[in-house]
Amino acid sequence: MSTENTIKVKKEEGTEAIYQFLSTIEELKKCDGQLTKWIDDHDILLYEFEGQFKAISNICRHFGGPVGYHKAKNGVFTCLWHNWQFSCKDGSNLTHCGLPLRNYDIKIVDEKIYINLLG
Amino acid sequence: MKKKLYTLSLTCSREMDCPKEVVMWNYYDHEHLIGTHYKLYDHARVIAEKDDWALVYRSKKAPFLPLWTGGLALQRMEGNVMKTTHQDLIGFLLEMEAKFEDLPNDRCRITSSYRIDVHPFFKIFEPFFKKAFTYWFHATWEEDEPMRLRRWKVHKLGFKDFHGIDYINKKLPKLEKINYPKYEFNPPVKIFSTINTQDGMDRPFNSSVEIGYND
Repeated sequence: MSTENTIKVKKEEGTEAIYQFLSTIEELKKCDGQLTKWIDDHDILLYEFEGQFKAISNICRHFGGPVGYHKAKNGVFTCLWHNWQFSCKDGSNLTHCGLPLRNYDIKIVDEKIYINLLG
Repeated sequence: MKKKLYTLSLTCSREMDCPKEVVMWNYYDHEHLIGTHYKLYDHARVIAEKDDWALVYRSKKAPFLPLWTGGLALQRMEGNVMKTTHQDLIGFLLEMEAKFEDLPNDRCRITSSYRIDVHPFFKIFEPFFKKAFTYWFHATWEEDEPMRLRRWKVHKLGFKDFHGIDYINKKLPKLEKINYPKYEFNPPVKIFSTINTQDGMDRPFNSSVEIGYND
């Protein structure tokens, strides 16, 4: 059963994926298309890039710094602490290629953005 | 015969909601100068470093003045005290000591003392010295405090350096209880940049639209 803060989506193999409320599109637009939020001990970086909404981990793989502290410039996030850089396209690491940021699956329903913390 | 000198000195102290080792890591991390403190520092270079000492060149903004000054700093650990000797371009030698103490409940106290021996003429600048270094201590503290608290927070969630957090990276349910290890400070902080080459490191930009922390 879905609630106001969660939605359940049936997957092809018959299991259900739970998506938690993350933000409204209006809230994201008010934050100039980039915001960060902690949800159940996941630090999420939500943003709009080239017309698409995306959610990646906001925790830098280096020392745990906030990747989305600075507003992205030219399609690149620069972590505040030690300037590691990540692509807005897919969270890939532009400083050390083997350490990308985790991407999260999101769903948009009625102008609300939901996130699957296990997807 | 030794010249008679006057000592300008100041002591500042604050407490933090994290173990002292987290703060020691922060003090000893040279790369964060041009990251976390990008508004105060524009260049840093580690000239030499071994275990618990480092010789560092850094260019920083002078408090209250529209000036950038470069200077060398020798930083070393002596037990729970970090001693730093700076020489700036004017030639003054600044001795700084940061003492790290444990407090109950994973808290700590940091007491920083600053000292410069000067010609007695410079005694008239004592109020400016105290104001400038009080400002510097608190300005850098304000920028470092959320870094330390976040570092401690992710450590308690199981964060490992150059790896991340397993339940996030592997898309696993988070365990009810995470058994995190005691936070250890083992200098030097691992460097993964050009900061220890002749080029050093420049800050990537001098202005930014800051979204900020959310911790």
